[in-house]
Amino acid sequence: MSVTDCEHEEAGWGVFEGLPGDPMMWVLVLSELVAFGLFLGAFIVTRAVRADVFASGQTALDVTLAGYNTIVLVASGWAAAKGAASARTGEYRFARRWLAFAMALGGAFVIIKLVEYAHEISGGIGLETSVFFTLYFLLTGFHLLHVCLGIVILAVVCRSADPIHVGTGTVFWHMVDLVWIVMFPIIYLVR
Amino acid sequence: MRYSLGRLDLTLLALLGLTLATMAVAGATRASVLVDGIVLAIAAIKGRRILLDYLDLRSAPALWRGLATAWLMLIVGFAWAASAVSVLLPSP
Repeated sequence: MSVTDCEHEEAGWGVFEGLPGDPMMWVLVLSELVAFGLFLGAFIVTRAVRADVFASGQTALDVTLAGYNTIVLVASGWAAAKGAASARTGEYRFARRWLAFAMALGGAFVIIKLVEYAHEISGGIGLETSVFFTLYFLLTGFHLLHVCLGIVILAVVCRSADPIHVGTGTVFWHMVDLVWIVMFPIIYLVR
Repeated sequence: MRYSLGRLDLTLLALLGLTLATMAVAGATRASVLVDGIVLAIAAIKGRRILLDYLDLRSAPALWRGLATAWLMLIVGFAWAASAVSVLLPSP
């Protein structure tokens, strides 16, 4: 094996080779998935222990608004994926438009979620109303922060529309999408 | 100009349809272990489509597809198992 071969091997990303975007984003995504997984696990276990509190808390949630948010977020993920595909084929103008559309839908998600919070808070519900609402606000609030961060990341990668940067940004966005897809039925629908 | 539906467009349609199906099932039927199972199974299918098509893991190494799918199945499976246990073994 030549020196050049060795250098090439050392420069590789090992197990991260072959993933879309920058491997460091995948390190972040993995740690986020572990954090959300533990958080959701705590929610599920607490529901099994305090089923009555969770059942009454769940009836105060607005399933329709959460459903709209699911539709908005999967559409946003689609627009982001279209943006990444456009960037890969060198259609930078289209990539920027798709990413702008994805960010706008992300903004719509944030607004709908804030409207939902406002309804709940005006109805007298707060962080300390019950263990259900403590976990509900912490989980959905943590996710909402990730949506806001995702919009910022998409805005940053949108400027250059570089395929690697766009691929990296959209990986984070799809992680946020995936977490909501799992979170929606667990918090709002499963009894 | 004709626009042909690509994989991403079909995935979006599938995700929208499955979301509407989830809300219809959860809203029209009384809560039960079966309904919880259906709702969570739909979430698993949607998550898998996001992993394969949006995240583009279809062309990534099998290790990553497996890891991401395992995370998804673990959460969804745990949620359903906890729901089933609390119904079958109600608290005193």
